[in-house]
Amino acid sequence: MPEQTRLHYQEELGLLEERALEGMDMVVQSLDRTLEAVEHQDIELSQLVVADDDRIDGRYLEVHQEILTLLATQAPVATDLRLISALLHVMHSIERMGDQCVNISKVIPLTGHDAPVHADMVERILRMGKQARAMISQAKKAFEGRDVELARDLVRQDDLIDTLNKECFQIAVQVGEDVDTREWAMTMMLVARALERIGDNAVDIGEQVAFVVTGLFREFEDASHPGGAPLPSP
Amino acid sequence: MADQARRAAETATGRKGAPEIDVSSVAEGVTHGHARQGAKTVFDLESLTVSYAGKPAVKDVSMGIHENEITALIGPSGCGKSTLIRCLNRMNDLIPSASVEGKCLYHGHDLYGPSVDPVEVRKRIGMVFQKPNPFPKSIFDNVAFGPRVLGLPDVKERVERALRSAALWDEVKDRLDENAYGMSGGQQQRLCIARCIAVDPDVILMDEPCSALDPISTGRIEDLMLELKEQYSIVIVTHNMQQAARVSNRTAFLIVQLDSEEDNRWGQLVEYDETDKIFTNPSDRRTEDYVTGKVG
Repeated sequence: MPEQTRLHYQEELGLLEERALEGMDMVVQSLDRTLEAVEHQDIELSQLVVADDDRIDGRYLEVHQEILTLLATQAPVATDLRLISALLHVMHSIERMGDQCVNISKVIPLTGHDAPVHADMVERILRMGKQARAMISQAKKAFEGRDVELARDLVRQDDLIDTLNKECFQIAVQVGEDVDTREWAMTMMLVARALERIGDNAVDIGEQVAFVVTGLFREFEDASHPGGAPLPSP
Repeated sequence: MADQARRAAETATGRKGAPEIDVSSVAEGVTHGHARQGAKTVFDLESLTVSYAGKPAVKDVSMGIHENEITALIGPSGCGKSTLIRCLNRMNDLIPSASVEGKCLYHGHDLYGPSVDPVEVRKRIGMVFQKPNPFPKSIFDNVAFGPRVLGLPDVKERVERALRSAALWDEVKDRLDENAYGMSGGQQQRLCIARCIAVDPDVILMDEPCSALDPISTGRIEDLMLELKEQYSIVIVTHNMQQAARVSNRTAFLIVQLDSEEDNRWGQLVEYDETDKIFTNPSDRRTEDYVTGKVG
C-alpha cells in the first residue's frame, strides 16, 4: 500500500472546510432570529441580528485569509484546488446571506409597532424564510457529502420560494388604497426579495458542490436562459 | 554514418529538402484524454517496453509527444521516467543489458530501426542532464565542440547564436575564453543547453535539469524552456510538480507497479493529458493522489 503523506496539510484542509461550512450554521441562526423578529416585529431582536453579523463577516475574513495562506504555502492542485476555489465562493455566498438577514432586520423598525399587518403576506414570508432555512441546511449537507443530486434538488426547493415571492408581489399590488398599508406591503416586499436572494445563494453553493465533484462549473439555472442551462454529470 | 542511415535521418526530420511527413494519422489513438487533436507529433510510442537484463523497467507505454510543446514526465522514484526519456535518443544503447520492445517512432520512423545511426539520432535529439556537465574547456569551446565534431560551418556565429538562445550571451560574451568551470551552476546548465542547441537539434530532452539549481537559476531555465519551445520540442523529467505545472503543455504520470511474488517492479503510464487537466481535474484517482501529495 502506498504511504499516506502530507497528513498535516490534509488536516488543515479539512479544518478549513469545516470552519467555512460552519458559516452556514451561523446564517441559519441569524435567519431564525430574523424571522422571529419579522413575525413579532421585535426591533430589539432585529438589532441583535445586525450586530451579530460581525461574527459572520469575521468568519468570512478568517477563512479567506486561511485560504490565501494554503494557496501560498501548499500549492494545492486537483480536487484540493477545486475545493479551495469552491470554499471561496461558498464563503462569499454565506457573507451575502448574512447581509440579507441584516437588510431584513434593518427594515423591521420601518414597519413600526402597530403596522397594518396583512396576515396572508406575513404567512407567505415566513414560509419563504423556513424554506430558505431548509435550503441552507441542505446546501451544507450536500457540500459535506459531496452529494450532487442533493445539490441539484436545491433548484426545485428554490422554485417554491420564487412562487411565494410572486404571490407576495400580487398581494402587495392588491393590498388596497390605504397609504400605511401600502407602505407596509412595500417594505415587506423588500423582506421577500431578501429571502428570495438567500434561496439563490443556497443554489449557488449547490453549484459549487457539483464543481468540486465533477470539475465542471455550470449554473444549475441560468437566469438569462431559463430552463436551458445544461447540468453537469456526476 | 552510412549514407543510408543519414538519408533515413534526414527524411525523418524533413530537412534538407526532404518531403514533410504527415504524422497526424500516427497520432490518432495514441494520445489520451483531452490532448489536442490534430497537433503534430514528434514521437509516437506504441506499447514501448524497456528492460534491463530481461526485467522490464517501464512497460507498455503508448503516447504521442507533440511538436513545439513541452511534455513533462512525472512520477515517483523508480517509475521509469528517466528510462523512458533516455529511450527517446537511444541513450539506453550505452547500457549493454538494455533492450527495447514495441515502437518508438520519430516523425513516423522507427528510432530503433537497423539502419538508424544512434550518433545521428543524438545530434537531432539532444539531452540535458540533472547535473550540469560542462567540458573542462573554455566557454566558447564547450559550445563549439559539437559543431566542430560534426564539421558544421560558421562555428563562431553558431556559438553566439546558441549562447543567445540560451539567454547566456550577455553574461559571458566578454569572457568566452574563460574555463566553464568558473561559471555558476545555473550558468553551467544554460551552457549545457547552449551546447545542445548549437548543433540545431529537433528535440531537447531534459532529465531533471533544475534539481541542482537554486530558485533564481531554476526560474531562468524555465523562462528559457518557454522561449525554446517555439523552435524545439522539449521533453522534461521532473520531480518538481509545480515546475511541470508551470512550464509544460502536457504531462504524463507514471507509477511503480510491484509484483512482490516475482520481486519485480516496473514503471507504468497511468495518465497522459494536457497539463491543466492533470493539475485541476485528473481522470485517474492515482494521478489525483500523487499530484495532491496524498501518497508518496
